Amino acid sequence: MKKINFISRISGIAVLAVVLLAVNSKAQDKKIVFEKEMLSLKLNEETKISAKVVDAEGNTTQDSLVFFSRNRRSLIVTPDGNVKAIQSGKFSIIARTLTANREDRISATLAVDVAYPPVKSVTFLNAPENFYNTTTISLETKVVDEAGVTRDNVDVKLSSSNPDVASIDAFGNLKAHKKGSFTITAKAENKSATWKFKVSENPIASMDITHNYDGKTIRTGDVVAFEAIAKTNKGDAVEDAPIKYTYIAEPDDNLGQGASAQIAQSGKFVASDPGLFTIVATSGDKSTSTTVKAVPRNVQRPLTLVGKGIVSHTRTSDLWVWEGVDGRDYAVTGTWGGNGEAIFWDVTDPSKITPIDTVVVDARTVNDVKVSEDGKVAVITREGASDRKNGIIILDVTNPRDVKVHSEYTQDLTGGVHNTFIYDNHVYAVNNGRKYDIINIDDPKNPKTVGVFELDTPSHSIHDVWIQDGIAYSSNWSDGIVAVDIGSNASADLPGAGGSPENPVQLGSYAYPSGWNHAAFPFKSESTGDFYVIGGDEAFPYGLDTEGANRAAGWLHFVKFDDWDSPAEVARYQVPEAGTHNYWVEGDVLYVAMYNGGLRVVDISGELMGDLYDQGREIASFYPSDSEAYIPNATFTWGPQPYKGYIFLSDWNSGIWALKLGESTSQGTN
Amino acid sequence: MKNHKLFSFLLTPILFFLLVPSASFSQDYYVYVAAESEDEVHLIHLDGKTNKAEIAKTIQVGRYPTETDGPHGINISPDGEYWFLSIAHGNPYGMLAKYKTGTDELVATTDLGMFPASMEISKSTGLLYVVNFNLHGDMVPSTVSVVDPDYMEVITDIKTGIMPHGSRITDDGTKQYHVSMMTDELYEINTAGLNVNRTLSLKKSAMKMDGMKDHSDHSEEHKENHEKHMKDGTHEEHSKKENEMKEDHSGHDMDGMKKNGMKMMHAKPEVKPTWADPHPTKPFVYVAGNGSDEIIEIDTEKWAVTRRFKSGKAPYNLEVSHDGKILVASYKGEGATGIFDLESGKEIAKIKNSRKVTHGVAISSDNRYAFLSVEGIGGEPGSVDIIDLKTNKRVAVVETGKQAGGIVFWKQVAQ
Repeated sequence: MKKINFISRISGIAVLAVVLLAVNSKAQDKKIVFEKEMLSLKLNEETKISAKVVDAEGNTTQDSLVFFSRNRRSLIVTPDGNVKAIQSGKFSIIARTLTANREDRISATLAVDVAYPPVKSVTFLNAPENFYNTTTISLETKVVDEAGVTRDNVDVKLSSSNPDVASIDAFGNLKAHKKGSFTITAKAENKSATWKFKVSENPIASMDITHNYDGKTIRTGDVVAFEAIAKTNKGDAVEDAPIKYTYIAEPDDNLGQGASAQIAQSGKFVASDPGLFTIVATSGDKSTSTTVKAVPRNVQRPLTLVGKGIVSHTRTSDLWVWEGVDGRDYAVTGTWGGNGEAIFWDVTDPSKITPIDTVVVDARTVNDVKVSEDGKVAVITREGASDRKNGIIILDVTNPRDVKVHSEYTQDLTGGVHNTFIYDNHVYAVNNGRKYDIINIDDPKNPKTVGVFELDTPSHSIHDVWIQDGIAYSSNWSDGIVAVDIGSNASADLPGAGGSPENPVQLGSYAYPSGWNHAAFPFKSESTGDFYVIGGDEAFPYGLDTEGANRAAGWLHFVKFDDWDSPAEVARYQVPEAGTHNYWVEGDVLYVAMYNGGLRVVDISGELMGDLYDQGREIASFYPSDSEAYIPNATFTWGPQPYKGYIFLSDWNSGIWALKLGESTSQGTN
Repeated sequence: MKNHKLFSFLLTPILFFLLVPSASFSQDYYVYVAAESEDEVHLIHLDGKTNKAEIAKTIQVGRYPTETDGPHGINISPDGEYWFLSIAHGNPYGMLAKYKTGTDELVATTDLGMFPASMEISKSTGLLYVVNFNLHGDMVPSTVSVVDPDYMEVITDIKTGIMPHGSRITDDGTKQYHVSMMTDELYEINTAGLNVNRTLSLKKSAMKMDGMKDHSDHSEEHKENHEKHMKDGTHEEHSKKENEMKEDHSGHDMDGMKKNGMKMMHAKPEVKPTWADPHPTKPFVYVAGNGSDEIIEIDTEKWAVTRRFKSGKAPYNLEVSHDGKILVASYKGEGATGIFDLESGKEIAKIKNSRKVTHGVAISSDNRYAFLSVEGIGGEPGSVDIIDLKTNKRVAVVETGKQAGGIVFWKQVAQ
């Protein structure tokens, strides 16, 4: 038998070689010739392309061709060669023959250059009323093309007609050298704008600088607002004096330190490291400075393990802890990629977390678990149901030791429900990755869909929803955080729009470039009254081994909402070696599950600016792992919930944990 | 003279292999199967000598680690060099992934529509045709994405019925067949023309209902739509948004609330067809009537239903043997496999599967074995049940990841 196989291999190879040679020579004899060697289009221009197949002698063959775009989102190409340019740039079109064998197939590429529309206008955005001698201002320009699009990829050349009076660099920094007139010209393509102006006498005789922490201790992470004032020799303020801020750092530890602080041109400053910081404010040839000392934040507190409930047969997903109708405390945890279980625990004594019941439903993943405020009804989600109907299961948890099924609800939820929230007798069920259905559970045995919220953006996708004061905050990957009025009440931090469960009304949104928005949690700072929504990432750029240890990425985005129309991302919490998952805020303390980074407890009191991780705001951390866990001795923390002075958390690898945050042992702040 | 000698040298071993029946040698058989709730693909090996089977290799698939992405459809290029996998879930669209057979390394991916499912590459055009099942979306027309498998680019999306499934292509590669589950229709696509040739109602009483849209103008309608979207620059989005169109299509009764207060008035599907497979040599297509418990034979020359075979409960996938003599169907509703003699139209064997929810069928190229993927329920592992088509007995069971679904026969090699 071995001999036969050997002969067959040798002869097979020989036959294959001959066939391939024949095929290749046949394919190589032909080529695709486009009507044009290159295609140049204007934006939104349509055209029809053609090509033919010719043999070695140049004769046209009968081969069929098909065309397609290599840049579908920029250049539309139909199989028969209709082309429309919907974005500017350099793209390519492939023409290929319709043949069975790959070796017979020939293809060719047509380069397409879709020109950007010509520049229509260039304008100055921030020309001041006065330009004082020796001062420097930053001139900003705006370029708009004929398609009405603001362009940031056009080279704008700036020049001064009189550089001895005022010179300008390539970055728009305009510096006054002496009194006199000048003209600044901004040229983009063949359009230009001019700004005729003059350098006037500088009235600034002196400068003062103050800050809002005078007499108070400044800790790392505290946002200090510096205000510099330029004055005339009479002591009057020069209100329109351009002022620039910078700092000189003398950190306590200067052994290879990185950036120790940051300062905004509004004068807001935050130190990441303790030390001395000299804040310098300049306006022209005048300057002033003041030195402050930043001390360690010293917010660290002990975090001790109180108890754990190890789940060793499957992965654990979300958790919810609540006070039962009998006054005892209970928790429910979901399971991931397992047998469709929701596990109920008695956590009255967190040092003795005890499983008391398990509900098994037709699913592979019970990703989310939620319990109503009155502690009577739970909702668990289903994904991977064998009948593919998925949906939610509504449970009677009046007696968590004997949980009963109220109802199964799958209407319009067959795409799988990934997350839910229970609010005011309605379940908000995020389903099919596209929308959330709003389901009335006044009668939990007969749930009824009363509303739906779905974005209408291209390729929209949703992951989670959280509700506070009648406003639903959903996390929508590339569409970011979306706030929707589903019955806002007087407690809401920002005004609603008359929405209801039957009529959800979008209020505002905030998206960020990575498209990793996986969670959203609103909170009002107890210390400042500022209203934020924390947008949380989920990312696995290093892949994920479902049977081993892992590493995630991504961070928390602190988005400050002063109103629905102008959200601003002001701070982040980013642990370099880990990534965020679920989180919770209670009393200016953030509890965040960082997957492989375990649980982090973070002080988010005061104004927030910059990277909170760098500022020593971390109060405590904990890495749950257990040798008896489903994935032993590996941390992958899923979600936390502060409850009655304890912190409960679920860990994907190991189950449910209870921790206690102790009192600070530090002696003051310095 | 030299050429003659070379020809003899090459011909001798070829003739040897042609004359010696391959079945006289023991064979190793290989199939790929996707575990939809495990995000894994297994390469299953069957030793034809001992009838012992095992997982030879497991390949992790999908793109989002803490979500179940759902590998659903799987197929192999005609030359056996690559295998292709549809991943059902994404943000929000599914995708097509291309892997090298043997090494199983990921080569490339491309985004498709909602819940892409079954697929096949045409031997005529070399293009891949994959249905966007849109299983969990609104009951609206979906598409068949046509993909260049070399460049892994979508060439076009052909509009089709509601919940299209079961993409299979004639042996000559010229026609692709799939079914529209929620409109009880069989669709025929011209693989070179990239358009719907014709549709056929599979209902027993195939009568045109009031208000029902005639699909005979389907390709024309698509052309008009396409031209419109070319003009307004929304072609790309249109292709995706076709799933979201709120038009009265045909044949489905939508319960429940819809946005804008619209209620779609569709007749409830009777047949719920879930698979179509053309006969390898004759002008027939066989369809699994998942809702009517039957196998339906369509004569593609007459373009009419010619026979209906009573089947087990809820047939889901099916495959006609390569010699065209038998048909193997998975009975999803009863965890069993049915084997039909196509001459008589009789079910000649029904084999109980190793667990509930039988899903996919793949027949070995020598017609000796049928490989059935069986999903299981909940945390129960899936399986591949292997049936000896000589004896119509189950000879092996291989446990797989959860919800074994898409399955394809790769190769058999002499031991």
